[in-house]
Amino acid sequence: MSITELERVLLPNIEKNETEWLSAYKAQGGYEVARKALGMTCEEMIQIVKDSGLRGRGGAGFPTGMKWSFLNKKDSPRYLCINADESEPGTCKDRPLMEQRPHTLLEGIICSCLALEVQSAYIYIRGEYYKAAKILNKAIEEAYEAGFLGENIFGVQGKKVDIVVHRGGGAYVCGEETALLTSLEGYRGYPKLKPPFPAVAGLYGKPTIINNVETIINIPFILKNGAEWFKKWVHEKTTGLRLYSVSGHVKRPGVYELPPTVTLKQLIFDICGGIRNDHELKWVIPGGSSVPWLLPHQIDVPLSHEGVAAAGSMLGSSAVMVMDHTVCPVWALANLSHFYQHESCGQCTPCREGTAWMFKIVQRIEDGHGTMADLDALYSIAGEGKPGSGMISGKSICALGDAAAWPVGSAIAQFRNEFEEHVRLGYCPYKNKRYWMANGRFVNEQFHPHKHH
Amino acid sequence: MLNILKDETERIERLFEKYPSRRSAMLPLLWMVQEKTGWVSQEAMEEVAEILAVTPAEVYEVVSFYTMFQQRPTGKTHIALCDTLACAICGTHEIAAYLEEKYGIEVKKVTKDGRFSLELVECIGACSMAPALLANEDLHGNLTPESLDQLIASCP
Repeated sequence: MSITELERVLLPNIEKNETEWLSAYKAQGGYEVARKALGMTCEEMIQIVKDSGLRGRGGAGFPTGMKWSFLNKKDSPRYLCINADESEPGTCKDRPLMEQRPHTLLEGIICSCLALEVQSAYIYIRGEYYKAAKILNKAIEEAYEAGFLGENIFGVQGKKVDIVVHRGGGAYVCGEETALLTSLEGYRGYPKLKPPFPAVAGLYGKPTIINNVETIINIPFILKNGAEWFKKWVHEKTTGLRLYSVSGHVKRPGVYELPPTVTLKQLIFDICGGIRNDHELKWVIPGGSSVPWLLPHQIDVPLSHEGVAAAGSMLGSSAVMVMDHTVCPVWALANLSHFYQHESCGQCTPCREGTAWMFKIVQRIEDGHGTMADLDALYSIAGEGKPGSGMISGKSICALGDAAAWPVGSAIAQFRNEFEEHVRLGYCPYKNKRYWMANGRFVNEQFHPHKHH
Repeated sequence: MLNILKDETERIERLFEKYPSRRSAMLPLLWMVQEKTGWVSQEAMEEVAEILAVTPAEVYEVVSFYTMFQQRPTGKTHIALCDTLACAICGTHEIAAYLEEKYGIEVKKVTKDGRFSLELVECIGACSMAPALLANEDLHGNLTPESLDQLIASCP
């Protein structure tokens, strides 16, 4: 399968960047779906989304139509929040969408607001995405001027939609939907206990729907072409084309739009050209940094929620990280554990303490000071990479603790011999040994500039 | 008394119109401060507190939670170099070493001439362009020694 043979919907002009301008977008039929949606009933629209099988593209994969049907319409005002926090390591698909299709996203938001009978939407975008936030703000300005946003949109009396871009400040946890809401309310991004779910009591205590950027950008296409069209691309209960962020040691990393029938093996070896320098594939993280790791013999599976689950991992945010044989799994786990202990919000003891302990222990093993008892301790904290096992998973308000524990459990399960080797040898056996920051400063044995690939 | 934000009253009023609660303007106000001064000082936090009618401690609580708000002055160009897995396996540490060796830009420090500061940060959402960094607001990916040299030369 070559890239040129693949159909593209979301990323047709990804290099051209022309949809930023309203006139270009309108020339392609832009905002016609929103105009059409004004003539549809909410029930009709929600039914089409339900029938399409669209599932949230942020990571959890919850059916969007079903989420929408939970919104408590007896209470008002209601809100729609677009989760543009995209902070799961490995995931980098929403940024190109926002930078290159801002008006398509706005049209998706307008359609969704009409379906949900919502008048104000907030795009919560991570602070690092300066450019995307600027482009969105400009597109919003254009849409207001054209009468597509604000009071009486498209000249229809009484129909109102407002969109506000709200920038975060650099906190992974704000991608968690309730933390996103507390952050938007002007507080530390602390997740809240559920229930009540946001669909009942969300932003400012009012009914709120939170959807990922890629989820919402699919809405105009689904409303235009119908649910059956979306189901052309199907594997079990995963429908539609989706964006896969590929990073790490492949020859052609990038963001690819693919059907869920493509296998992880095809993605890595055909579409991304295989492993750099013709190295050996060591392992793959198939769905963002939180999901269990897969070994080379486990990757011949379709990239659907069901396909990846059957291999023992999760599709998550469909962010595929590829490691070649030069990467030490213990070092890589220390890197990820550092991320989670840094990003834990600190509210719940099992997560705050557990993530910090996991990092310390993994780092100790990587540094060659670990013992076999450390391995057991790690295993007892992290569990076996399944929900509810270990001392963290299922014991905190949000899933950050789970997300931190799953890779630990799975790394030990997949590479136990290498962890034990570190303990036995008293050092990391990998060449180009890299140390973590010591006292906030990076220390490297081979501390000289050199050309890297 | 407003000092840093004294000329921004119009922008601040427009900000309040966007949210049903004034408190929601917290992060946008902090961004406004950081855009103007490069960091969020204690004085700035006191001003934001005054505008929002909350205590300075409540503002500090927020500032200290979000890693992008700088609590001390940075260099003219602040480099946020991504150090999470996808970037780290593609050369983050080689880049940090290169910046220190060739340009004297050290992690967590401001260069003596005040031109640069460098920070290792967690994932910046540019994984398929690894290794990547943010130089102030601009994203630079697929970094090589050559592209770093160009970047450094282009900074004021």
